Amino acid sequence: MSKRQLAMVMDLNKCIGCQTCTVACKTQWTNRNGREYMYWNNVETYPGTGYPKNWMELGGGFDAAGDLQPGVIPNLEADYGVPWDYNYESLMGGMADSQHFHPHVSPTWGPNWDEDQGAGAFPQDNYFFYLPRICNHCTNPGCLSACPRDAIFKREEDGVVLVDLDRCQGYRYCIAGCPYKKIYFNPKISKSEKCILCFPRIEQGLPPACAQQCVGRIRFVGFLDDEDSQVYKLVHKYKVAIGLRSDYGTQPNVYYIPPTESPAKFDAEGKIIEGSTRLPIEELEKLFGPAVHDSIATLKAEMKKRKETGVSELLDLLIAYQHSDMFRLDNNYYQQVAKENKRNPLAPVDTRYLAGKFTQAGGHH
Amino acid sequence: MKKILTSILSLGLAASAALAADTITAVKVSDVTDANAWAKAKFSSVTLYPQTAVHMNDKKANAANADDKAKKADVAALYDGKNIALMVKWADGTKSVQGAYSSDTYSDGFAVQFAGATKGSHALPYIGMGSDGRPVVVHLQKATEKVYEPNGNKDVSTQVNRNQTALFGKELADYDAKVASLAKTDYERVFVAEGFRSLTEIKDGSVKSNAAMAYANNGWTGTITRALKDDYVNLKGTVPVAIAVWDGDKMGRNGLKNLSSWVAVNLEGMKPDTKVVAEITEESKGNAEKGKAAVDANGCAGCHQITSKDAPSFMGPSLANVGGYSTVAYLRESILKPSAVVVPGYNRNAHSNTPWYTIEKGKRISAMTDFSFLDKKTVEDIVAYLKTLKAEVE
Repeated sequence: MSKRQLAMVMDLNKCIGCQTCTVACKTQWTNRNGREYMYWNNVETYPGTGYPKNWMELGGGFDAAGDLQPGVIPNLEADYGVPWDYNYESLMGGMADSQHFHPHVSPTWGPNWDEDQGAGAFPQDNYFFYLPRICNHCTNPGCLSACPRDAIFKREEDGVVLVDLDRCQGYRYCIAGCPYKKIYFNPKISKSEKCILCFPRIEQGLPPACAQQCVGRIRFVGFLDDEDSQVYKLVHKYKVAIGLRSDYGTQPNVYYIPPTESPAKFDAEGKIIEGSTRLPIEELEKLFGPAVHDSIATLKAEMKKRKETGVSELLDLLIAYQHSDMFRLDNNYYQQVAKENKRNPLAPVDTRYLAGKFTQAGGHH
Repeated sequence: MKKILTSILSLGLAASAALAADTITAVKVSDVTDANAWAKAKFSSVTLYPQTAVHMNDKKANAANADDKAKKADVAALYDGKNIALMVKWADGTKSVQGAYSSDTYSDGFAVQFAGATKGSHALPYIGMGSDGRPVVVHLQKATEKVYEPNGNKDVSTQVNRNQTALFGKELADYDAKVASLAKTDYERVFVAEGFRSLTEIKDGSVKSNAAMAYANNGWTGTITRALKDDYVNLKGTVPVAIAVWDGDKMGRNGLKNLSSWVAVNLEGMKPDTKVVAEITEESKGNAEKGKAAVDANGCAGCHQITSKDAPSFMGPSLANVGGYSTVAYLRESILKPSAVVVPGYNRNAHSNTPWYTIEKGKRISAMTDFSFLDKKTVEDIVAYLKTLKAEVE
């Protein structure tokens, strides 16, 4: 466990599946150099296969006895999907008469292949919601425990989990060990890479790109030990934000406000069945455990309170009027860390991500 | 090096008879980098056992390697005034090269481990990448495809976003040409290690070496050439080496490999190091049958997998192939002084309820009982039994 822990809360009631977070992340980090297929941030339809395909069935994480569970490393083509591109250049270059618009590889699978399909029968009781996912920067990371080279580390200062690219030799046990399959193999450099929680931004007091760009303002970012932070209030004070699949035993630090509202079902005549709800609570229990009941009860009670009295700190928080209502990052904290350790203010916490733990001029020791 | 290998293969050395031995004679030649020098080489057969000390967490790979057998490799050595060269030939029916754009394929490869200076009474470091105060240098070569890797240095911080340069046609073409000239295709690494998990790549050029591998006739031929003396090793008389090979088809990488015990390479014309030779060639004088009874009686299976079919407890390392890749001296030491070499094994967090060692004053203290109370004969019997624990040769 790190001294402090950054956390993100995502309000699933507000996610519209626009993928702006995905694009913000991709253009910032993963559109080049072997990372093309990776989505450090993705938004999947739930229920659905997810990304990578059926990630919840691929093992990893810990059992009740605390033993790391074996897992499976997804296949790039079948499970992640080969990123394809179109022949824009030849079409733009005056060859539109002789060529038709086509992808450069024949797509067989990709993220969001089953977008918006969900479950149930249309129009009676079909349902789905969006589930945005980044690395959970777990307190007990499966990836870290699986690495035979101690190449994965969790920063003491903020709990961000990173790959030491110098020590990593591309063995990929981390991918098997992560139950969320949020660490990826970069075949071009033969090393594993993952979401870095935009630490260069965080260290300068800026939220991660996915959170900053989120048009639904669903993402809250801050330190879990900061009682004034939104994440503290949502996770600890109101206990409405819950970790995803915490049964995997990794103690994830991305928390979710479960979807509380879903439309009623229709009967055979197309009439609303009063009091029914399309989203089965069992599905939410599977994702968020039994704590989901209390969370939903609190949210409903606060909504009612707000309706009746016009006052609810929780709902004001969730509405997120301003960016400043969503992010409490602490540039001063990082600068203090840099000062205390006599480090470069532009790299206040460490340089291990790029330079490696044991790499010194002259080799080793 | 590729050219040299091609001509070696054409010499038809594959047909040369190999002697089964745990010692190899390095023939003195005028220049080890001359491909024709290999015509004088004397091949010995070395057995490589599946590395089964710890059970990794890759489900498919574990299934693929559940019934691994030992393999034979033909190994020869040459040396000149400055360098030593080793050639390793092993059968592999499936040529595996790690795909340039694939997440779950692995390459064939081989490695040669050299012993660094050892402290104390030991002649040799622990076989599994050395041990505290007993370092090893490992030369690794893997079969890889040409990789598009912009600056050739694996330096991810300065890589270029193609999407943002797409508008600059000429610049992009120039850039691509530069990439093509810089891109490295060779996956060759040199590491220094004092026990597994401590493996650290030597990147400062302080080790002069060259490795290559070529596939022909359902098998690989790998060569490595390195200086006899540098910051890490000083090779003379008898050079202890260990060989490992990986099978990419079985998702081999890291510990999923076949490895030999220490092998003594005697430099022809030099005085052999009798201490090293004695440690490598020592045979157990105990009674294996009585040893088996002693292993049962002392409850070794409580923490160790005795055969690969036993359920792993995540405590002690599996002993399923310990007889294949361990020396008698190491086995004896491990029984009498369990904390002398404690392999770091799993990340302790991976099996937090079964820690196989504790750390006291920076030293790893094994959770294993000290069995020095056993009489000498029983210890030798146990060693004799442990030496029988190894997979059959395929």
